[in-house]
Amino acid sequence: MLFNSIEFIIFLPIVISLFFLIPHRFRWILLLAASYYFYMCWKVEYIFLIVFSTLIDYFCGIFMEKFHEKRFKLPILLVSLISNLGLLFFFKYYNFASENLNLLFDKIGIQQDIPLMNFLLPVGISFYTFQTLSYSIDVYFGRQKAEKHLGYFALYVSFFPQLVAGPIERFSRLTPQLKEKHLFSYDNLVNGLRLIIFGFFIKMVIADNLSGIVDEIYAAPEKFSSLEILKGLLFYSFQIYSDFSGYSLIAIGSARIMGIRLMDNFNTPYLAKNISEFWQRWHISLSTWFRDYLYFPLGGNRVAKTRWVFNILVVFVVSGVWHGANWTFLIWGALFGVIYLIESALNKLLKIEREYTPYSFGHISLAVKTFIIVTFIWVFFRSQSFAEAINIFKLLYNNIGFAGAKLIIPGYLWVFFLTFIASDFLLYNKRFDVWLGNVPAIGRWTVYGFLIFSIIVYAGIENFPFIYFQF
Amino acid sequence: MLKKLSLKIVLLLVLLIVLNFVYKTWFYESDLQKNAELINLVRAVPNDADIVYIGESSNITFRGDDIDKRPISAFIGDYFPGLKTYDITKPASHAGIYKVLLENIPVESKVKTIVVTLNLRSFDAQWIYSNLETSLQKSLVLIKPYPPLFNRFLLSFKVFDIKSDSERVKEYRAKWAEDEFHMPGNFQFRNVIEWDRWMSNNGIKDSNGNYDLPQTDLACHFIKSFGFQLDTLKNPRISDFNAIIELARKRNWNLVFNLLAENTGKAGELVGNDLTDLMNENVQILENYYSRKGVVVVNNLNQVGNDQFVDQNWTTEHYAELGRRTVAKNVALALKHWYGDFYKEVHCDSRYQTSFFNDCDKGIIWGQMQTLTTDMAHSGEKSSMTGAGNDYSITFEYPLKVIPDSLKKTINVEFWLHQPSLNHDAKLVIQASGQGFHDYWNGYDIKSIVKDINVWARYNISISVPDSIKQADLIKIYVLNQSKEKIYIDDFKILVRD
Repeated sequence: MLFNSIEFIIFLPIVISLFFLIPHRFRWILLLAASYYFYMCWKVEYIFLIVFSTLIDYFCGIFMEKFHEKRFKLPILLVSLISNLGLLFFFKYYNFASENLNLLFDKIGIQQDIPLMNFLLPVGISFYTFQTLSYSIDVYFGRQKAEKHLGYFALYVSFFPQLVAGPIERFSRLTPQLKEKHLFSYDNLVNGLRLIIFGFFIKMVIADNLSGIVDEIYAAPEKFSSLEILKGLLFYSFQIYSDFSGYSLIAIGSARIMGIRLMDNFNTPYLAKNISEFWQRWHISLSTWFRDYLYFPLGGNRVAKTRWVFNILVVFVVSGVWHGANWTFLIWGALFGVIYLIESALNKLLKIEREYTPYSFGHISLAVKTFIIVTFIWVFFRSQSFAEAINIFKLLYNNIGFAGAKLIIPGYLWVFFLTFIASDFLLYNKRFDVWLGNVPAIGRWTVYGFLIFSIIVYAGIENFPFIYFQF
Repeated sequence: MLKKLSLKIVLLLVLLIVLNFVYKTWFYESDLQKNAELINLVRAVPNDADIVYIGESSNITFRGDDIDKRPISAFIGDYFPGLKTYDITKPASHAGIYKVLLENIPVESKVKTIVVTLNLRSFDAQWIYSNLETSLQKSLVLIKPYPPLFNRFLLSFKVFDIKSDSERVKEYRAKWAEDEFHMPGNFQFRNVIEWDRWMSNNGIKDSNGNYDLPQTDLACHFIKSFGFQLDTLKNPRISDFNAIIELARKRNWNLVFNLLAENTGKAGELVGNDLTDLMNENVQILENYYSRKGVVVVNNLNQVGNDQFVDQNWTTEHYAELGRRTVAKNVALALKHWYGDFYKEVHCDSRYQTSFFNDCDKGIIWGQMQTLTTDMAHSGEKSSMTGAGNDYSITFEYPLKVIPDSLKKTINVEFWLHQPSLNHDAKLVIQASGQGFHDYWNGYDIKSIVKDINVWARYNISISVPDSIKQADLIKIYVLNQSKEKIYIDDFKILVRD
């Protein structure tokens, strides 16, 4: 079930109404049933993967807690890691690994053909496996008590607003909220709805309208001049941002109405002054996951310089590969790592980065610099192959002054696009619901009218699913 | 809190009403033209139409060597010269689409009779789950009978049958597998998949006993298109037609279902009687089912011979002229039930044609096609512009001598005209030329008949054919406008009458 579908528009109010109507002790059953139903609307049989992951980590948690010594806990943790990562590998990376091994075998003359599998990647598998993994690791390190209630644990793994594309929540943050008795709150309702409406706006009006233009560029870039290709790259930066942050806002808003606060996943990332800050503002739940469960265990920055460089590169490369089974994602992650390291070195050397007043010349200049870098790196993320990405860069250079095809960008799209950029400036370090709550009533209702009208009248009407569903 | 919440809900409703007004006033029409262009098909039907024929490509498809390339609906119109017959033709459509289009005929319309194409193949799973459905269903959302803003909401949230091509293939293959045959005797196939597979494996043999791939393909298409047993309770197409019956009842329309001819000759030759028996049984079921509901069903199933099917390697209901005329005649005979007084026998001879129509849109080639413009149109998108240097409108040309003298006593010319003023000297011209007689030229003043300006107005004139031109090698009919005023001509109709 997609958020931007009539099914969800009907499903959400029903679940929320029932949530507040039934006694607290039954709510976990309702939410679990709703979450499983939500997932099964996409593909019924893949629910067993979630159930499998849930059961493995539930029992691993319980068994790990029975032991105090790590040497006894470790095999159990390994069961959890191997099960979850094995599942992820099998569904997400098996074909990629097989294809590359076959190529390698071919090159070195070994007659071995590893068969490819023909199945659909389970939606959200990268998200929920990471969520359950974090629980097992926390229990292993004693940071988290094992959950005894299988129902609540299953709900933690599958809570529908964030099941298929995050935010990737930690057990210690989400489960107490699921267990807490929430009374209906007018403020939660209003703030949740504000987030949902804004999420719909940026997904359906911004991302879905930009999508067609970006697809046109990437389908036949050789037809376009450098300037048009640049427009395509610019639009992709905003397409992926609005697509994913729009999804996250709808997820956060939906949970918020029930009184459950999911973590913020985006905070105006294109106003970041450097790559480090960009990753503190972009897909925050994933960056912090990698920080806590990969970067810190590797030693973080409390290690020798060469080791630190290694740690940084590992984290970014793994983060790239997390997104998809393709060399382009690996390169995308690696590029972020390299630029992160270069920026750190330059900053130390030149001391160009310090505290800047928001919107000051220094802030904006650095933000523009970061945005340009990120925009070029996105080329690897969007391209289907390394060759396609390189071709884009070649054409950017070769097609200067080339009188090629022109992108047809309707005037209204420019208006929405610029409005979205303006809203990012307006919401720097703020959240939309909070900001709107402080606007006088007349202004607030004008914004509601504008958003509702835009969503209904200007939504892209081709069938564009959320980009991050594929991860 | 309840008071606060109620107030906000009321405010939201008011906001939505205002937004609906804004959308309807300033945005709806352009959205219709962008996303629901087929509304123009309905709008092209004037309110004073008597009969509306609604169908798919079977209505308009012709064969290159047809002398008369007009649609079935126009042939039906020939039988009722005193009535106004129009068509709504949307290729690849079916009853589910017709229903929504018919709902959009304005209530003030005087339409009395609707002839609905009933295509047996449209009851088959492959058509029901066709990959064309997504775009067809999408194009209907904005013209549903709800407030415009709500319709746009449905479109934005993709509340229509939206599926990928592979999902559709999966659907109809599942349906084929699920629908098992219950046939008398020892029918060897459990379902259409087995039947198709058997045909594909065994194949049709050519005269040398070799596997004939094109003929085998065609045989498989026949099996997949017609190898089903109609279930009037479960087949979704049945309920689409039922909805049309319900609508006709509400709007007080006479209803005719025109059950199209299929190439049963070829189907029998390639696949055998099992298939043609099945087709006839299904048609019988449909005929009985809808007749019981008070609909006049015209059964054309076996009425058109193989030589009249345009596509010889596919199962489409595309007929050459004689095939279209046959279907039209059967419908016309059924329409006599209501319009006996208007019925007039048509002398049908494939060697000549007496009725001609050009709507400037469907690619019918007349002279001066360069005058077509999208500036404005009475129907469709184009009309022919004359004046301001463009002296001649699209020009009808025909060898008048091929029509027997007894059938060409009068020429009736009708077209729609849009003139900005009466400051012009435009004329309808009839010109004839040929060997052995003096060229003929006569102009009929237009503004003396049509005085309306800046609206589409109908020009209609009946002219006696002078004996002197009856043997003309070529007769030309056109509008001549040598003034600076631009005049637009559309839906040009010529009828040569006895």
